[in-house]
Amino acid sequence: MDRLLRAEITEFSPVMDETVLVAETGRPLGSRASRRLRAQGKIPGVVYGHGADPLAVAVDRHDFRTVLRSAGDNALIDLDLDGEIHLAIVKDLQRDPLRNRVNHIDFQRIDRDEKIEVVVPIRLVGEAEEVTKQRGLIQHQLSSVPVIAPAGKLPKSIEVDISGLTLDQPIRVGDLDLGEGVETDADPASVIVVGIITRAALAAEEEGEEGAEASEGAAESSEESGSAD
Amino acid sequence: MLMPKKVKHRKQHRGRMRGVSKGGTAISFGDYGIQALEPGWITARQIEAARIAMTRHVKRGGKVWIQVFPDKPVTAKPAETRMGSGKGNPEHWVAVVKPGRIMFELGGVDEKLAREAMERAIQKLPIKARFVKRELEI
Repeated sequence: MDRLLRAEITEFSPVMDETVLVAETGRPLGSRASRRLRAQGKIPGVVYGHGADPLAVAVDRHDFRTVLRSAGDNALIDLDLDGEIHLAIVKDLQRDPLRNRVNHIDFQRIDRDEKIEVVVPIRLVGEAEEVTKQRGLIQHQLSSVPVIAPAGKLPKSIEVDISGLTLDQPIRVGDLDLGEGVETDADPASVIVVGIITRAALAAEEEGEEGAEASEGAAESSEESGSAD
Repeated sequence: MLMPKKVKHRKQHRGRMRGVSKGGTAISFGDYGIQALEPGWITARQIEAARIAMTRHVKRGGKVWIQVFPDKPVTAKPAETRMGSGKGNPEHWVAVVKPGRIMFELGGVDEKLAREAMERAIQKLPIKARFVKRELEI
């Protein structure tokens, strides 16, 4: 699933919120009908899971955006299907790469206590003063991590404190504090964030040193010439 | 300049560039990117020119990722040559780019500087392209 990063989400609650989303059933199938739905401000989708037949649905684009913005990418959604509430998550989003819009949504039915695997975004908090002091760059290599947890305990995002980050000590998946009941099958050695010094910075530093040496040399030579005079 | 180390066939057909990019349409490493809005061939020289324009503008502190690779040989006949007698010699290498493709990524700098640097890089490319951020709309 595409990672949705939104700066607007300011409030932070550690566990997924739950919201209601109304989905219309019985939408016409096919690409032309789906195109017409999109033109009407709706997003075609499908609901599946728990052995039931897949059901074609359509949701209002504005409502869907509101739900994801307020509750996060892995929001637990109470999907209202003709008055019947189904607990679901957004399993997949298909996007139009040029318009940057969602074209299709996959909803998966879940149980609150059922263990599910979702991709949770990693948020960096704090300032890596040690790295910036040495003119390094903070490289956020892993922006999300797959986690397995009961649906009711899914974290909205995982916070990584980078205030203790140094150039030679990257923060890895194994260092994450995922919380109780939350596991990950990602490689614990995978690097999440690392402090690096770019080649350009090194080159600039070398140039600076050479420049300083040259100026020192010039000063010494002028002193020598001055003393000779 | 970027070019393959070894190829199976020296010369290729030109091909067609229909539709939109199948993959590589999301920013994977950096925070900002240059997204192609038209199909086209990007030569290794243009990629290098764009890279240099970007890195020179950010000076230091940023990191650039090049997400396209010029793996297609383009042939040309020498000047003032009569037509016929076979296909010309490989002259340069191009990357085939379709709309939606993220060609370059940039990280470690603020948005204003990234936008300025990438606008400069876009000027070096033969196709319409735009600056994009990692944040996605719904």
